[in-house]
Amino acid sequence: MDLSMYLPRLLDGLGVSLQLTALSIVFGYAIGLVFALGVSSVHRGLRWPALVVVEIGRGIPALVVLYIVYYGLPAVGVLFSNFWSAAAGLTFTVAAYSSEMIRAGIQSVPRGQGEAAAALGLSRLPTFARVILPQGLRSSIPALMGLAIQSFQGTSLAYSISVNELMSQAYQVSSLTFAYLTVYAITGLIYAAIAVPATWVSVWVEHRLARGHS
Amino acid sequence: MPQLITEANELATAGVTISHLSKSFGTNLVLDDISMTVAAGSVTALIGPSGSGKSTLLRCVNLLEQPDRGTVTVGTTTIEAGTRVSDRSLLALRRQVGMVFQSFNLFPHMTVLRNVAYPQEKILGRSRAEAEERALTLLERVGLRDKAQQHPGRCSGGQQQRIAIVRALALNPRAMLFDEPTSALDPEVGVEVLAVMRELAESGMTMIVVTHEMQFARDVSDHLVVMADGRIIEEGDPRAIMAAPTEERTRRFLSAVLER
Amino acid sequence: MEAVVAVLLGLPMTLLVAAAAFAIGLVSGIPLLLGLRSRHRAVRVIVRFVIDLIRAVPPIVWLFVLFFGVSFGALRFNALAAAIIGLGVISAAYLAEIYRGGFATLPAGQTEAARALGLGRRSTFVRVLAPQAVRTALPSIATFLLALVKDSSIASTIGVTDMVFAANTFVRQNPMTAGLTPFFVAAAVYVVISIPLAIVARRLDARLRRSA
Repeated sequence: MDLSMYLPRLLDGLGVSLQLTALSIVFGYAIGLVFALGVSSVHRGLRWPALVVVEIGRGIPALVVLYIVYYGLPAVGVLFSNFWSAAAGLTFTVAAYSSEMIRAGIQSVPRGQGEAAAALGLSRLPTFARVILPQGLRSSIPALMGLAIQSFQGTSLAYSISVNELMSQAYQVSSLTFAYLTVYAITGLIYAAIAVPATWVSVWVEHRLARGHS
Repeated sequence: MPQLITEANELATAGVTISHLSKSFGTNLVLDDISMTVAAGSVTALIGPSGSGKSTLLRCVNLLEQPDRGTVTVGTTTIEAGTRVSDRSLLALRRQVGMVFQSFNLFPHMTVLRNVAYPQEKILGRSRAEAEERALTLLERVGLRDKAQQHPGRCSGGQQQRIAIVRALALNPRAMLFDEPTSALDPEVGVEVLAVMRELAESGMTMIVVTHEMQFARDVSDHLVVMADGRIIEEGDPRAIMAAPTEERTRRFLSAVLER
Repeated sequence: MEAVVAVLLGLPMTLLVAAAAFAIGLVSGIPLLLGLRSRHRAVRVIVRFVIDLIRAVPPIVWLFVLFFGVSFGALRFNALAAAIIGLGVISAAYLAEIYRGGFATLPAGQTEAARALGLGRRSTFVRVLAPQAVRTALPSIATFLLALVKDSSIASTIGVTDMVFAANTFVRQNPMTAGLTPFFVAAAVYVVISIPLAIVARRLDARLRRSA
């Protein structure tokens, strides 16, 4: 079957998808943490802007974010390549969603923790940084893992701005071979082949975390 | 004192017989060849240390737990362990036996009235009007008629447990099982529930009660069964056993409990 | 402005795709849930596999499979049908999981009490367990709807004339003057739509927490 000629192309696309995923997760979580801290802040000057950015990031479809970065920014003089436009757009979306998850994790830390730290005489900053935040992050891990898998699937949207990731390659290959169903089915299976084991891993991690803790 | 079971055309209460019952959870032998008879209309109190298998034994009577070996007889219905019990037989058995749980288990999304009326409609085929009237009558007898339109969440623990008893009673069971009915309640509140159970006993209901309430066991029950390590170590007249236990194990258990 | 009108013309389609897919998902999720709770291990395993597979493949791939790949003789799905069916099937899988979660948090005592009373399996499920499970699951269902409205934008990639499609078209037709505006308009409409839904979701969540 001549389709096997095209499998390497699809796998090249997969490589690009994985790069996009990695970038969006690494930078997205970091920025998300900053947003989460901003949203939890007592200073209104920090809280409101952070809230607005996060709600916008969560309220706009990822596809629209990608178009805005890709089409819109050249109009204001900022020129990213396709790949980096996609990376920036996906990072923004991941940051917004992860910020909510991290914030929820921080909020879920029992009040008694902060009270115990205060009773010991720890001041606010070390209490937060060494007692609350580590526990909060730990609670957010399951949700963040789910987000990572979704971000991998989200890279498929980069097709719409002509990034040569897996979906784009699939489109090109299917246009060349006319074997639409086969090519897209294989593409779906490639995504699944990564997403399903990743889900198993995340469930396993979630169990391990729960065990050591209660 | 008003009787809780007064309808003349109700079935007579039934006796419960347990014969050579055994059950294991994995490698843990929880019930070891237990045999016990509860005469119709009598009250049996089941006491013993935690892990003795009392609750498991109770739950085998209405088959919430499936015994590995032995038979359970309620009235004229006998279930043999190991044989596949059809859903119909299972339901038939459970409809003859009422159960009251430690955690009440009222249905939170229904009002108190619906909690007591719905099972009657579904299981006894009563009309809604009939079922609700019976429900209100029973609630009145335990002093909770004014709670009828509220949801269980708004009632105290003692009130919820009394409602749970009424819910089971409304189905005209021939025997009632109580699984540590007052363990989740404050002592002052537990008293209300024990009073209802006492009334029920005096009306002639067959009751098997797993409890830590020694006063109730001594004053209300006709028969005391002491369990430990999955076996019955002593049984007989409650007052006699509590005054002078024959077995060392019973002695140790009673002295620890009565000391508190 | 022209851009605003052009984009808003796509709004009905956005809402149609989301609503239709949601309806399909709400209903189709039920048999999937029953499959997950089936007494037969084989059924549970198969349904689990199907749900995981549906959720593992990105929505855009499903839409492309249905639009480009599926044909019944000479007939193919049109873009709208492919989008609604594709998103509907995906919704069914996600909602089945949400339903399952609602049941998973029910106290075991509820089932025991119902069975001890002598209620059969069906009554127990329909009158005792399901009402409580739905109540627990409502906030998650509302949150999911929010996500679905946004995901409906993917339909634009196969030519459904929703807001994103309209924005894209406008930009292509007015390359010099359009700039960011059409996409900002679309973004703003999405945010505005999501506000009432988000408020409802938060209220449901708060009500759930209070009654717990």
